[in-house]
Amino acid sequence: MNWILGPMLLILLIPIYETFQDKDIWQKMLAFASVSTKTSIMILVISVLRDDWMIGLVGVLILSVGNASLMLLAQVLKRVNEL
Amino acid sequence: MTNVMTDWDLAAITALLPIAAVMTVLQKNPYHALVVRGILGAIAALVYALLGAADVALTEALVGTMLAITLYAVAVRSSLVLKLGIIAPVDLPEISIENGSQNGQQNGETEDLVHPVSQPLEDMFNLIHSFEDPPELKPLLADLRVFCDRHSLRLELHPMPDRQALDYAMETKEVHGVALLNGDSAAHPYSVTVRVDRLYELMQTELNPAIATLDTTTVSLPENPLMSDTSSR
Repeated sequence: MNWILGPMLLILLIPIYETFQDKDIWQKMLAFASVSTKTSIMILVISVLRDDWMIGLVGVLILSVGNASLMLLAQVLKRVNEL
Repeated sequence: MTNVMTDWDLAAITALLPIAAVMTVLQKNPYHALVVRGILGAIAALVYALLGAADVALTEALVGTMLAITLYAVAVRSSLVLKLGIIAPVDLPEISIENGSQNGQQNGETEDLVHPVSQPLEDMFNLIHSFEDPPELKPLLADLRVFCDRHSLRLELHPMPDRQALDYAMETKEVHGVALLNGDSAAHPYSVTVRVDRLYELMQTELNPAIATLDTTTVSLPENPLMSDTSSR
């Protein structure tokens, strides 16, 4: 199952490349959402591969916290665009 | 622990970290930099978890990404602003508690608890947001908005009833500058006065000179007695 990390890494590069391209801040936010979800899924996969429950727990926490921070940032940015 | 990852996988994933760091440094707009900082945090958490430091990864995600970005977003939002005082009729709506409680009585008891407080606040919010550019200032404001967009500033208009209030706002440092309408006979339709030196420098080169005359002024507040006390000791 080790081979799966290589393709995951390549897929992770797509949104990172996207942030280079876009001038629109909401496109960057989408890329951020994509990267944060993908990295936490990678952490979960690594935890399964290593059979390490501690890393798995951290992966779950990061998956939920990453989305929370995204929503907080989106709220602030939305207010900036309104004014 | 069985070695499930090859060295190449490890190296490739770790190489993402400096890439994201360089991307963060290259951003020009502070808001874009904050979003890319979030990406950097996510990748850093991945690398830390990969190297076996689960506690460090959790701290990076909680503090480094969530708390830092939110605090910085608020800080950037409140500091990168150009407050411009203008003369415009301000028609304040009649904001009263009575208004809210009447609504509450009409709508039933459950909303009675909510409306008396939220209604005036909502009115104030709508007033600030519904304030439209005065038509006589539109050409100048269009030019200023281009200027503000270029420097990722936020243009905040502070309407004042008369010239006296405008001068007072300038003296108390409530606004960064004032925009005035010159008479029809003047060579330039508008005059802009700013009290921040850096803004003056930037506007001098970038604002359209055909539209407005630019002026700078220094405002010195009488020193705060508390501040002078501490400095003399």
